[in-house]
Amino acid sequence: MIKKILQFSKLIKSGDWFVIILFCILIIISAKTLWNLPQGKYLEIYKNNEMLAIYSLNQQISKTINGVKGKTEIIINNGRVRFSSSPCSKKYCIHQGWISKANQTIICIPNKISISIVGTKKAYDSINY
Amino acid sequence: MRLNNLLIYFLISFLIGCSDNKIYKQENYIFGTIIGIKIYGESRINAEKVSNKIFDEFQRLHELLHPWEKSIITDINNAISKSKSISIDNNEIISILRNAKYFETQTQSLFNPSIGKLVDLWGFHSNDLNRDKIPNQNKIQKLILSKLSMQSIKIKDKILTSNNKNVQIDLGGYAKGYALDQAKKILVKNNVKNALINIGGNILALGRNGEKAWRVGIQNPRKPNVIATINLEPGWSIGTSGDYQRYIIIDDKRYSHLINPNTGFPENRTQSATILIPPSKNSSIKSDVFSKPLFIAKIKNKINIAKSLNINYFLIIMNDNSIFISKSMNDKIKWEENIDKKNITIF
Repeated sequence: MIKKILQFSKLIKSGDWFVIILFCILIIISAKTLWNLPQGKYLEIYKNNEMLAIYSLNQQISKTINGVKGKTEIIINNGRVRFSSSPCSKKYCIHQGWISKANQTIICIPNKISISIVGTKKAYDSINY
Repeated sequence: MRLNNLLIYFLISFLIGCSDNKIYKQENYIFGTIIGIKIYGESRINAEKVSNKIFDEFQRLHELLHPWEKSIITDINNAISKSKSISIDNNEIISILRNAKYFETQTQSLFNPSIGKLVDLWGFHSNDLNRDKIPNQNKIQKLILSKLSMQSIKIKDKILTSNNKNVQIDLGGYAKGYALDQAKKILVKNNVKNALINIGGNILALGRNGEKAWRVGIQNPRKPNVIATINLEPGWSIGTSGDYQRYIIIDDKRYSHLINPNTGFPENRTQSATILIPPSKNSSIKSDVFSKPLFIAKIKNKINIAKSLNINYFLIIMNDNSIFISKSMNDKIKWEENIDKKNITIF
């Protein structure tokens, strides 16, 4: 049995180890991020229509995002979120205030940053309201 | 197969499995609301190009039809208020106004785009809804007695006149549907076969989402979740008139932006009216326009109006949480909440 394992390990070259370790790290990272998602709602942040990050809404933090015009700051405060500073001129995004319900979105067009609240269960492609 | 080949194979299939790269998604803020475009099965470059064309078209319409910021519509309204005629050298506007006039007749004037003054009195001609008093009732009465109607508008040889200077055109209940129909033209012209476009809740489906139909959630008017979901087959549109997006609260009472043209007051017995319109010419306009009469009409009239407008798919939620639903809609819908069957009446 031990012989067999030794024989097998000889088959694995250093490049293979690299791939195996990479794979393991990937599994650990994805497990950590995905399993820690809260039940209920979380926040998706988009820059230029590409998703930048997902955060739990059940925390109290502020995040700074680099947009095309400069730094946008958002605040997550136990279940709700808002833009707190933005380099855009009209500050519509900040005036929107807090959002807290699933499917609510705030977009800052000049800085190309948008945030959306998403429920964990999403059995549809769009919402009619 | 060598072990690392195998691992790389797993890694690649894992990554492919995770990504949702067949759908291109873009959002924007026009018409004072959020617009979402989803395109399925096109290259990213092509999808982005077509989305941008659609957003450009929406921006053009926003500036063309804006009810209170300077636009052709406000120019027309200014002329009407001074009892002057105005020359309109824009065939698109002329056809929109004629069409709106036709829909007013068809909906027994419950869709009435000539009541801009009433909408403004209630404070809805503004981006911030901060009115805290009911408007002066005499002012409302005066407007109602002057019989606001698109029928007072005559267009001949591109010259528009109105014999009622209280008429102010507001295409708020029409523009989004019109924009959706324009978007459909752009998608078809650019050979995009599968897309879902959402303008502030009014949605048009083109083609499908891969193997499946596009699936749409219907918002619960009083809770932050969807009350039901429904498949939107290729070419169908869905529209809702609701009292929960644009409204003001005065003395703990809700006043929605949906004003009954007969009373001058916001309709307050209905929470939402949702309709589904099958593919046809102007189908998205209909999904926008025809939800208004269903929302505004008196309870007894709602069903008759749906029949007279040939609306086979409707879902109306009343203020006491009772639900009126057409049989075809009931067959198609999937409730996402536990609804007490006693509250549902099927027509």
